[in-house]
Order: sequence, then structure tokens, then C-alpha cells
Amino acid sequence: MIEVQNIYKTFLVPHRVEALVNVSCKVEAGAVVVVIGPSGSGKSTLLRCLNHLETADSGKIIIEGIDTLDPKTNINKLRAEVGMVFQSFNLFPHKSVLENITLAQKVVRKRTKKESLEKAFSLLNKVGIKDKANVYPDQLSGGQQQRVAIARALAMDPKIMLFDEPTSALDPEMIGEVLDVMKNLAREGMTMVVVTHEMGFAKEVADRVIFMDMGAIVEEGTPEHFFTNPENQRTKLFLSQIL
Amino acid sequence: MNQPAIMKKSNKSASYYAWVGVFFLSLAILIGALYYSTIKIDYVWRWYRIPQYFAFKEKIDIKSQVTGRISEISYQKGEALIVVKTDGEDKTYAVPEGDIKVSEGEYVNHGYVLAFYEKWKPGILIQGLWLTIEVSIISTLLGILIGLIGGLARLSSNPAFKWASITYIEIIRGSPLLVQIFIWYFVLGTLINTILDKYGISPIPPLWYGVAALACFTGAYVAEIVRAGIQSIHRGQVEASRSLGMTYAQSMRYVILPQALRRILPPLAGQFISLIKDSSLLGIIAIRELSKATREIVTTSLQPFELWFVCALLYLVLTFTLSMFVQYLERRTAV
Repeated sequence: MIEVQNIYKTFLVPHRVEALVNVSCKVEAGAVVVVIGPSGSGKSTLLRCLNHLETADSGKIIIEGIDTLDPKTNINKLRAEVGMVFQSFNLFPHKSVLENITLAQKVVRKRTKKESLEKAFSLLNKVGIKDKANVYPDQLSGGQQQRVAIARALAMDPKIMLFDEPTSALDPEMIGEVLDVMKNLAREGMTMVVVTHEMGFAKEVADRVIFMDMGAIVEEGTPEHFFTNPENQRTKLFLSQIL
Repeated sequence: MNQPAIMKKSNKSASYYAWVGVFFLSLAILIGALYYSTIKIDYVWRWYRIPQYFAFKEKIDIKSQVTGRISEISYQKGEALIVVKTDGEDKTYAVPEGDIKVSEGEYVNHGYVLAFYEKWKPGILIQGLWLTIEVSIISTLLGILIGLIGGLARLSSNPAFKWASITYIEIIRGSPLLVQIFIWYFVLGTLINTILDKYGISPIPPLWYGVAALACFTGAYVAEIVRAGIQSIHRGQVEASRSLGMTYAQSMRYVILPQALRRILPPLAGQFISLIKDSSLLGIIAIRELSKATREIVTTSLQPFELWFVCALLYLVLTFTLSMFVQYLERRTAV
């Protein structure tokens, strides 16, 4: 479970941007929350604050009962529990698919080679590319790379998965294969926060949709509410532009 | 490696070969002009004198350390045994295949040459070359270590580390190596050796001050290369590894540095080739590396032209070997 209370984040470099202004939200265990909004609205920043790739300036972020902004919190331990999938995949290009998935298991989770390999193969099977175990990332298509990235994050047995526009860098015909993996994950009860422009995905699997603009949460609700009966003017405008 | 297709086509025109001819002709003219000028000033080329500086046969005398009579000369397994009978104990000398100057029954005094043999010894050029290699290898290894630490410190957000690294890099890169060698030897060397002497510890030989100067010098450049290499790795790589729960050190070791190393191999090679050449400056603090060795023979042999060419050629062999080795590494680590 994630609880975000009144966080602020201002970037000073290269120029002053108030990326998050008094943002509060809650993600219950097992819930799938989709964050949408125009670019520069702060949705990625919010996501990155959740696993401390950015540090919120003030406010509180409580994940699984741990106050993550407390300086005494072991951030590395926290991050191992919170998987993240990036827009640009960020696979390790010098390591094979298998090594990508086993590396953190070995050095962070201290699993044996055998354990981590078993885990890697079962996850590759799950994301549908077990035949690519020994190739290098640059030999894979974008969709395959992103599925490896998802497997790599899942290998840590995270309690929460964060997705930062996972399909935005993909060719259209590859978006489906990645979304399918994510949908399966949602059905299995994984707690997920997904920043995306895929409204179909939001409609189908989201428990809740959050709309952000100018660093603040403008509107929040179930997908039915959101796509049929939005209240806020800005939400209406945004949805009218993308649907 | 992937040359554009246009370069692979070898439809060379006649003018292409004409210009190839021009190149070789120019080279020949240059060498010819050099040779002709040396004749003009009555320089006599004596290449046959050069091999002795690579290796020479040393004549070793075996002298009797006692006074007495040769009682027996026996041969076994390519070795001769000469027994000298004295009033007291008999003395036996082993002579590895060589000329024996005495015969049985002869009376020998103390210091009399019983036999001599010849032994191949490395010449002064080879000794110098070896010292250059030794100094270069040690300085390279230390330079990598210093450079790695310096480069990581340069990127640290901790001001103590960051500023220390910047100060170090700027001072080293901003002053001549020759001056740094002087400072290491005449300032730091004097200080350290005097203090060591006070505590009755034997002084550190100049070689190590030379190595320190070279290692520190190279380290500053390697630090900048390492920094640039790390910065050239996409930020997403750090983020991905950290998001998996890796510490900064783990992320560096398993993800960033292996990728950065691949990119910095070519500039690193250039730096270490420079290091080999810069080691020629160590002669000024009495370290007899290749250049100093050459200078010494030149003053005795009076064949400077041959010797300096040979010296340059030996450096070329070293740098070319290193360059080939790095190219091999690059091929091996390429994805």
C-alpha cells in the first residue's frame, strides 16, 4: 500500500519548475492505479518520487508502512520491494537477457545462481520470450526488450510495480504484447501504478484513474466515472483531445 | 571495422597508383637526402657496432684462490673439474665449457688464471629497455588505480572528494611533467629520505620517485577519461540498477564501469602510450631507462646517429605492441 501525503517537488535546474504541488493520493494493496495527464504535468515525477529516483522536497510517502522520506530508511531495501519499468527499457546492454534478470537477484537478494536462474526462466516463460534467454538486448525488438525489463523488475519479487510510460517508445504493433503482460500482472493482484497514454488499458484494468495537470491531481475516480462523466473542465478538455 | 561500402570497392584508377608511387618516392628521397648529408659531413655509419649493446659475450676468468699444484683435470657432462692440491685442503674449480689455461702438474700462484669461459649478457640497451618496460607497467597499474579513484571522486557529490579530485587534476595537468619529476625527486624525495634516515631506515631509491611522478601524472588524465566515460553512460542505466535495489557501489561495479571501460579503452591506450614515451624523462633523476642508456652509450661509442634511431625504434616497438594489445581487447569486449 502506498500513501502519499502533501508532497511538493521543485526542480531548480535547468530552470525552476514546480513539478509537484501538494499531491496526495493512496494506492491500496492489489489496486491498479493509472495516472494520466498532459506531458509536463508531473505524473512521471510522482512515480519517480515513489521509489526515490527523485526525492520529494516535503510531505510524506509511506510505502508498506515505512516512511520513505525518513533519512533513516534504507532506500535500497525499499527499492528492492518496488519494481520499476521505464519508457526506454534501460536494459543492461553488456549483459545477456538472462544476466539482466539474474544480476540484481544475486547481488541484492543474495540468491544462489541456481535460484536466480530458475526464477529468471519462469519469468521469461511468463512474459513469453523464454527462447531469447541468451541473446543480448540489442538483438531484441522494443516489445521484447520491455518484456525483459518487466521480468527483470519482477525477479526481485516486488510488492509494488511502477510503470513509467512503458509503451510510449514502442512501435504500435508491439504495444499489445507489453500491455498483455501488464494485464496478466494486474489480474494476479499486483499493486500497480501506471503512467500511460493507453486509455484502453486504463478502461480495462484500472481500479482508479488519476488525472494530473500542472503538478497537481485534478481529478480522481473509477474508469467508468472518468471516461463517461468527467467533472473537471481540464479533464474534459484533455480527454476530448486524446479520445 | 564497418567500412562504408564505397571504401571497400577497389576500382583503383591509374592516378591512384601514381600517387602511391609519389609517396614511396618521397620517402626514398628523404632517406637518401639524410644519408647523403651524413656522407657530406664524413659521418661513418657503423651499424655492426650496435648489436653489442643488445647482448654481448662476457669473458669470465676463473682464478685460483690458493697456491698449489694442479693435481687433476677431469671432464664430465660438458664441465671440467680442476683440482688444486695445496698444503692444506684441496680446492676444486668447475669450468663450464671453455678454455683451460693450465695443465696437470703445473704450479699455480694465488690469483693465477686457471681458465676462462664466455657468457651472454644483456647489453645496456636491453637493460634500459627492460627498465622502461618495468617503470611503464608499474606506473600504468598505479595510474589506473589513481585515475579510477580520482574519476569517481570527481563525480561525487561530497565536496571533500570532489574538490580534492579537481585540485589534483588541475595541478597535475597544469604543470610540466619535467617539473613534477624534479619536485618528486628533489623536494619530496629529499624530505622523505632525510626523515627515513633519521629513523635509521634505508632511503627509497630514485626509481620509485620516478614511478610515483609518472603514476600521479597519468592518474590525473585517466581520472578525466574515467569521468567522461562514466558520464557518457545513459542516466537510465544508473536509474535501472538503483531501482532494482543495488547500492551505488554495486551499480558502478556491475553496470556502469563495465560499459564505461569499453568506451574509454581507446583514449586510455593513448594515455599509456604517452606514459611509455614520457618515461624517457626519468633519465634526469639518474634512472637508466632506455633514453638515458642510449645517451650513455652515445658518449662512449660516438655513434649517435645509429643509436638514436635504434632508440626510437625500440620505443616504437613498445608503443605499437601496446596499441595492438588494446585493439585486441577492444575486439574482445565489443558487444
